[in-house]
Amino acid sequence: MEFLLENILNLVGFLVGLAIGIMALIGYRNTGSPTLFRLTIAFFSISIGFFVIWTSYMIEDFVVKSGSVERGIQTVGIGIQTVGYFFIAFSHSIKSFFPKSSYFRSVGILPLFLVSSVQLEHIFRSVSFILLAYGAIETMLSYFENRNKGTISISTGLGLLALGEFLGWYSFVFPESILYTISMTIKIGGLIALFIPLSKVPLTKIKFDEGLE
Amino acid sequence: MKIIGDILATTRDDLQDEDGATVTYLIRKANISHSRISRILKTLVSHGLLEQVEDQGSNKYKISQTGREFLQAYYTFTNFADDFGLSI
Repeated sequence: MEFLLENILNLVGFLVGLAIGIMALIGYRNTGSPTLFRLTIAFFSISIGFFVIWTSYMIEDFVVKSGSVERGIQTVGIGIQTVGYFFIAFSHSIKSFFPKSSYFRSVGILPLFLVSSVQLEHIFRSVSFILLAYGAIETMLSYFENRNKGTISISTGLGLLALGEFLGWYSFVFPESILYTISMTIKIGGLIALFIPLSKVPLTKIKFDEGLE
Repeated sequence: MKIIGDILATTRDDLQDEDGATVTYLIRKANISHSRISRILKTLVSHGLLEQVEDQGSNKYKISQTGREFLQAYYTFTNFADDFGLSI
C-alpha cells in the first residue's frame, strides 16, 4: 500500500511540477518576467525531484527487486525538491522584504537545530516544511489583498504539502504507524490543489513562444 | 512590467482618436515622468509592440499586432502569478 501510494505521489508530483513549470517557462519566454523565471526553476526542480524518487521506485520494483529503495537516491530527490520549495519561498521573500523579517529567521533556526545530528534527508524534509509553510502563509496573505480564488487553491496546496512533509518527517519517530501513508495522501491532495488554477488557464488564447511550438 | 502593461492597454483600449495616443496622454494615464516614458516607448517601438505615427509634427503611438499578443500573454500570466500570490 505504502509502495503504491509513494509511486502515485511521485508520479503526480512529477507531472504537476512539469505542467506548472512549462506554463511558467512559456510565461517567462513571452513576458521576460523574473518572477516567472523563479517559478520555472521552482517547479522544474520539484518535478525533477519527484521524478528521481519515482525512477528509483520503478528501478527497485522492476529491476533490482531488493525490497528496499536506495536511500541515497531518495535523499537526492528530496534535496532537489527542497531547492524548488526554496525558490517559491524566495519569490515571496523578495516581495515581502525577507531580510527585515525577524519572524522567518526565528522559525528557521528551530527545526534545523532539532535535526542537526540526524540524516541529511531529515534536514531536507524539515527545510522543505519551513519553506512550504512560509510559501503557504505568504500566498494566503496575498489572497486577502487580491481576493483571487486561484490563490486559495495554491495556498491550500502548499499548506497540504507542508503538512504532508511534516508528517513524513515525523513518521521517522513512529516508523510502523499510519503517519507516512497519511502524509503521502495529504501530499497528493496538495499537488492536485496546486494544479487546479493551472487547469483554468485559457491556453488557447496564449501565443506560444516560437521556440516552444 | 506593470507600466508596460498599462501603456499597451491604453494604446489598445483607451485611445483619444484613431491615429493613436500622444506622449502627454500616455504620461497622464501611466503616471510617470516624461524621460522615463520616452525610454519605455522607444523600447516598445524597437521591439515592435507599439507603432509610432507621425501626426502634425508630433508622435503618436498605436499598439501593433505583436503588442496585442504580448498584452494578451501579459494578462494571462499576470493571473497565473496572482494565483501564487506574486506579481510579474
